[in-house]
Amino acid sequence: MKNKLQRIREDFLKQLAEIKDPNFLHELEIKYLSRKGELSELMGGLKDLSVDLKKEVGELANSVKKELQEKFNEASKALNNFSGKNNVVDVTLPGTKLERGHLNPITLVQNELEDIFTSLGFMILDGPELESDYYNFTALNVAPNHPARDMQDTFYVDLKNKDGQYDLLMRTQTSPVQVRAMQKYGAPLKALIPGRCFRNEATDARHEHTFYQVEGMLIGKNINFANLKSFLEIVGQKLFGPSTKLRMRPKFFPFVEPGNNGEYTCFLCQGKGCRVCKNTGWLEIVGAGLIHPDVLRAGGIDPEIYSGLAFGFGLNRLAMLKYNINDVRLFNSGDLKFLEQF
Amino acid sequence: MYISLNWLKDYVKITSKIKPENIAEELTNHTVEVEGFINSAAQFNKVVIGKILEINPHPNADRLRLTLVDIKSKKLNIVCGAPNLELGQLVAVAMVGAILPNGLEIKESLIRGEKSEGMLCAEDELGLGKDHDGIMAINENAKVGEAFAKYLKSDDIVLEIDNKSLSNRPDLLNHYGIARELSAIFDLTLKPYEKVISRKWDFLSDKENKFEVKVMASDLCLRYMAVAISNIEIKESPAWLKDRLIAANQRPINNIVDLTNYVMFDCGQPMHAFDATKIKKIVVRRAEKDEVIETLDEKNRILSADDLVISDGKEPVALAGVMGGHNSEITADTTELLLESANFIAHSVRKTSQKLGLRTESSVRFEKALDPALTELAIFRFLTLLKEICPDMKINSSLIDINNVNQKELIVDFDLEWLTNKIGQEIPKDNVINILEKLGFILEDKKTEILKVHIPSWRATKDISNKEDLAEEIIRLYGYNNIDSQMPILTMDLPEVNEERKIERKIKNILCLKNSLNEAYNYSFVGEDQLKKLNIDFFNYIKLANPLSGIQNILRQSLVPGLVSNIKTNQFKSDSFGFFEFGSVFFKTVSNLKKDNTEGNFLPYQEKRLGLVISGSDDLIARLKGIIDSLFKNILNKDVEAEFLVLENVPGWADKNSIAKIILLGQEIGEIALLNQEVCDNFNLKKGAALAELNFNKLVEIILSQPTFHFVDTPKYPPIIRDLAFVVNEKVLYNDLRRDILKFNSLIKSVDLFDVYVGNKLAADEKSLAFHINYLSDERTLKSEEIDLLQAELINHLDKTFEAKLRNF
Repeated sequence: MKNKLQRIREDFLKQLAEIKDPNFLHELEIKYLSRKGELSELMGGLKDLSVDLKKEVGELANSVKKELQEKFNEASKALNNFSGKNNVVDVTLPGTKLERGHLNPITLVQNELEDIFTSLGFMILDGPELESDYYNFTALNVAPNHPARDMQDTFYVDLKNKDGQYDLLMRTQTSPVQVRAMQKYGAPLKALIPGRCFRNEATDARHEHTFYQVEGMLIGKNINFANLKSFLEIVGQKLFGPSTKLRMRPKFFPFVEPGNNGEYTCFLCQGKGCRVCKNTGWLEIVGAGLIHPDVLRAGGIDPEIYSGLAFGFGLNRLAMLKYNINDVRLFNSGDLKFLEQF
Repeated sequence: MYISLNWLKDYVKITSKIKPENIAEELTNHTVEVEGFINSAAQFNKVVIGKILEINPHPNADRLRLTLVDIKSKKLNIVCGAPNLELGQLVAVAMVGAILPNGLEIKESLIRGEKSEGMLCAEDELGLGKDHDGIMAINENAKVGEAFAKYLKSDDIVLEIDNKSLSNRPDLLNHYGIARELSAIFDLTLKPYEKVISRKWDFLSDKENKFEVKVMASDLCLRYMAVAISNIEIKESPAWLKDRLIAANQRPINNIVDLTNYVMFDCGQPMHAFDATKIKKIVVRRAEKDEVIETLDEKNRILSADDLVISDGKEPVALAGVMGGHNSEITADTTELLLESANFIAHSVRKTSQKLGLRTESSVRFEKALDPALTELAIFRFLTLLKEICPDMKINSSLIDINNVNQKELIVDFDLEWLTNKIGQEIPKDNVINILEKLGFILEDKKTEILKVHIPSWRATKDISNKEDLAEEIIRLYGYNNIDSQMPILTMDLPEVNEERKIERKIKNILCLKNSLNEAYNYSFVGEDQLKKLNIDFFNYIKLANPLSGIQNILRQSLVPGLVSNIKTNQFKSDSFGFFEFGSVFFKTVSNLKKDNTEGNFLPYQEKRLGLVISGSDDLIARLKGIIDSLFKNILNKDVEAEFLVLENVPGWADKNSIAKIILLGQEIGEIALLNQEVCDNFNLKKGAALAELNFNKLVEIILSQPTFHFVDTPKYPPIIRDLAFVVNEKVLYNDLRRDILKFNSLIKSVDLFDVYVGNKLAADEKSLAFHINYLSDERTLKSEEIDLLQAELINHLDKTFEAKLRNF
């Protein structure tokens, strides 16, 4: 039996040395090393031997099997690596091409903002895109005859209420979620609200009827203007770098009082003045303010006990600035040539 | 809005230390956005005074003449067509390189073959009037060669203010209002308006008064003041008046019209002057339906009952707050006028102006809710100035004043401690008091900690009504940028995690990074034509009441239309590609989201979907099924298997042989289908597309309802894997067979399909399905013999249930 084992070993090694084509390797493997190969067959006969012999031959068989397997692996590796005619392989050949998918740049910027605010303990909230006149305007202190309510500015849908009026609309801002969140969670509250918004305006390179906003709000006891200011500062630094400065100016929004806009040092020119910041060194990025007491009331929160701050960004604008995109329509275009860059 | 610095100087002393750029910057920081400023001298760059030395006929044109003009530094040949040329006359000469206020750039040129080195200017070309009949007359004392700006004493600076930033400040659309802000910003003394008006006029008594004024629509007209004036001579306005109007970007017309405009730019009150001989009386009323008025711009406007008009008892003579009527306008022959100074309700003016597409300086102001007290100041200001330019004028009526204003003075308690808390730092009381007083607020007692603040009428229309509004006044004038920032001190808490958002992001990453799909954002609106091409019936869809176009006028109920358009857009850009989209769809049914603050009103139902589409030539459905299966496995972190079941209801866009329900863990979660040939043709698609749409809300529900993951010991005993191929009738479904094998015995742990064969080795209506069947026990090593037995039973069972025959190779 030992002789038989030796013969198998010699035959195998001899044949292995002769192989130049990797296709023959497989045949060799099946003949000797497979489950039904010569080696296994021989080892299958072990059970008929005496205990001592079984041990001796068994050990030998195992070491031969190990040796042959190793030799086979070596040869197989060598053959597969140097398979060219003259054993020359162009190692610079590319790998198999695997396609890459692409996220919309709005998603990228939104994720970045969500991460900043999640790290500050904010909830991320959503709300309905088809909203009511009540949540989109009335609860946000927008007067009944405010221009924003005009059909020229807002998409209404063709469902009339009991009084025969259109009171359902495509939300013009993410702010209705502020009031919904106050009603659901009460105070204190920290929330970031990203989402799709709509304005009834014709589209061109700078205008879109479908766009994206992110707004943040913080409600607590003694939330004050100095807090709002420092919040806007850290947001700017997170978005545009640690040396970013904030400049605030008065601006009217019905749902905050006081209201302001916030400009950040232009990150493209570091405030020196360039085409993008129209040579001012500043970029107008954020609208903000302390939440109007009427809005807190609409959310069921007592403005004598709690106060809040709120701020909002246009995601399209942030993405356009960040990636130097000059046509706002590209975001909703579904154009591969656009998406493939992100 | 344009604000002249010289005009502001009537009311505040702007020293030379305060530069125009300081004013622009500080106004922007504290009040409203200044977009820029124009130096009025700069617009006359390269325009000088010249003297005509020679006038000769043009050889090739009868109407043109050749002049030689002395501008001191040199003599210029200029071709001119003006009829009023005289030798020795002084003229305004635009030299080569000048860009005139009307935009005309002067270049050296040949005019009918004769060289011309400049232009002799008419008034309109210099933006100084509308006269184009001849060149502008220059005072004979002017110096030849002198800059035209210097001759005009044009040393004004004009600030351009962004009207949008004034939306809540009706008091600022005029020079006095801006002067008041500057007085607070730079701590200057503001000249009281009373100093520039006289209130002493010989008004007729009510008995003597002949003019009747009636306000029928008192809900739309808060106050109507009027006065009749006779002995008027209509002429050109004096230079100072014209200069100021030009600075305010208003074209001068005649002395009376100019003066009404002047007062408007001065204090903010729009006024209108009627020719008093053309109207007998004034009735302020709602228009009748389809009533027509010809406005000053000589256009006929068709009105409705929402519009407010001024009528003479019969027909409309003005569109209240928007524009006067052509029938009663001031003409060169007017000698008597009726002056209107009224307060119309903001929303009524806005609606009318918007509906007619007629925005005027007047409507812009009324829209913002003007102070009703202003009507009176404006009338006195007008009379005061009129006396200057028409000294012979005579008052011919009483001071008519129909006042429907019924508002009490607003007083706000302003607690300074509250203010400190609101701001986050203390602003010295003296500063607070100074800011409020400079802005015209009246304080009852300055010693108390809670100030009683009387709100002036010009801030009370809609701007200021509570302490928060006052806090804004303090903060903005103290300076947003002078307040120290300070992070809030908050109690720590664990915010609720938005699982839905987390899952959405994870899915996006799986689809993008693992399956190489691209993220589309498609519009929420679709069009009728688009849906028709997809054979979708949109009868039950919500539509926009006021769409921008018919291409996007319906709210989507599926992501399919958008995804099909993504295929269309990109079909020539890549051979094989795919998209996914997260988006909301909208239905007429009711959701559980509250609509308002009353009970029982809910928003329409909205659902978030995940849509997938791939296009290319290979087996699209199998690939997309694979993507969905891999998505489920990855998102659940578990070897779940997506199941696909027969779907009876085939949407009009789907291939009826390639459509299935998608099942995850026994729950129906979406659909997958191949686009049918008809739809591909409708959209001119060159390649096929497979689409799937999943209910994302439901997917989230399923994911969140999964038990917490626990590690299970790896199998202790080896599995036995048997490969079996069954020949069945083609109508037998894979999934039925698979389920049946799985539940046949608890030792069968998994069943993996590895081959499907249809072909000439089988009968025409047969197919073969080959499975790896995996037997495993947790308790012992399985014996070959028992599996043989089990397998025989299984084969027997499948034969009975499905008439499945073991395939013989």
